[in-house]
Amino acid sequence: MHIPDGFLSPPVAIATGIASAAVIAVALNRTRASLGLRQAPIMGLTTAFVFAAQMINFPVAGGTSGHLLGGALASVVLGSPWAATLAMSTVFIIQSVLFADGGITALGANIFNMGLVGIWVGWWLLQPLQQLLGGSRNRLPLAAGIAAGLSVVAASICVAIELAISGTVGLNIALPGMVGVHILIGIGEGVITGGVLTYLVKVRPDLLPGQQPQLQKWVVPVIGVLLISGVLSLFASSWPDGLEAVAEKYGFKDKEAVAIENPTPLANYTVKGLEEQPIGTSIAGLLGSAFSFGAAFGIAQLVVKPKDV
Amino acid sequence: MSKLSIPFRLRVSLIIVIGMGFLKTGAWLWLGIYGAIALFWSFRLRAPVRTLAQLLGAELLFLFLLVLPQGWERASFLLLRSLICLLIMNSFLLTLPPHSFGIALKGLPLPAGLQEIVLLTGQYLEILLAEVNRMKISAQLRGLSGTGGWLRYASASMIGALYLRSLDRAERVHAAMLIRGYQGSLPSDSKSTPKERLWLTLAILIVAGLTIASYGYA
Repeated sequence: MHIPDGFLSPPVAIATGIASAAVIAVALNRTRASLGLRQAPIMGLTTAFVFAAQMINFPVAGGTSGHLLGGALASVVLGSPWAATLAMSTVFIIQSVLFADGGITALGANIFNMGLVGIWVGWWLLQPLQQLLGGSRNRLPLAAGIAAGLSVVAASICVAIELAISGTVGLNIALPGMVGVHILIGIGEGVITGGVLTYLVKVRPDLLPGQQPQLQKWVVPVIGVLLISGVLSLFASSWPDGLEAVAEKYGFKDKEAVAIENPTPLANYTVKGLEEQPIGTSIAGLLGSAFSFGAAFGIAQLVVKPKDV
Repeated sequence: MSKLSIPFRLRVSLIIVIGMGFLKTGAWLWLGIYGAIALFWSFRLRAPVRTLAQLLGAELLFLFLLVLPQGWERASFLLLRSLICLLIMNSFLLTLPPHSFGIALKGLPLPAGLQEIVLLTGQYLEILLAEVNRMKISAQLRGLSGTGGWLRYASASMIGALYLRSLDRAERVHAAMLIRGYQGSLPSDSKSTPKERLWLTLAILIVAGLTIASYGYA
């Protein structure tokens, strides 16, 4: 997933570079407080470990291969997504500068995709998933495995979007291509992350976070809605709905008229440019759910009075 | 072995690679000049030609797979540029004295916090690789070799065991460093001499000139 030089346009490279530099600056600040000299070996070794693990490719399918990204694994072992951000950024800097693995001009984008998106998506999914699976420490490997797999797919979506914005390749080609391969790589990532953590839970449980606290009430429905809208919509039927079927049967479908042209990029529950791809429906579902949640949350904040203490 | 200091070698290599990274796609003449500079630098560092060729050959295969979907004209430029970058960085890496990878990484122009992590990473990579070799020998002695050998590394418990064994050693090394007065940085001199600073400035000027010229006279 390392983007080489020449694949990104200067605006995309600069924007992702600035975003990555800003997050690294915050991470340095946050990590200084949470990691002292005692934690330094864990930090250094985890970084070296992820670096070495990324050199080992495993066969995927169709002649392609993938390797561990390690963002979710690093955040669990280090117990902090900020520390993991620093560890992963270090890995990408060394890879880019010393091994020409990923371009110098694309370094910001590579850190953004694999270091930031790869870590934070995994971290945000980890605790709700662990809680959904029962909350005990023994469920951590399974939850982390699923979170790691999904984080790889999220990172690949970012790569596809950046390539499309740069004009290197169209989104209708990049997105299905990247996501298709990275679903398989994500399975590998999930298996390795889960397996390593299973071993660590048994041998060195002190290295890992413990029981999860009580989950906030809104998390389970939100995760459920996102899974349904994002994943299950891939399998949604393309047949007409009830009204459309009746209209077609009785010959008044052609009466349908557009009163006001709505220039939405998500028309017909798909993304402009991805009308023929199932992933378009999935992205539209995710965006729609996120907008709905945001709107409902905002209205609730405005309407509901704070409780008296 | 070259007598130039490790941070100076790293900085010059980086200046050339970064300059080439910003080169305009399709500027063949300027890429050719960079290629000549890279060959001179590799010769100056006295990189072992045979090992260098083997490394570049292996990396070229991966590069082919990566850039060929870009179309032949663009792919050939990206390929050659990546190859010259690899020539420079591999020449630098192959001429490092033993156990100096961490010191070399300290020469990277990074914030202090990241530099410490980079330094420890460089040190612990050696520990990690030493543990990999030990586990490899141990596996071979148990008869776990052959064409399916890569499965050993994909085995999750093997990776977990490698992590813990390395962590154990890393903690002991770190404790020893603390006892010897380590406080977040090695007592290595990463500051350049006035002569080195002059050469670095000259290198920056040449590289900036070449890269900017590629946009005007491609």
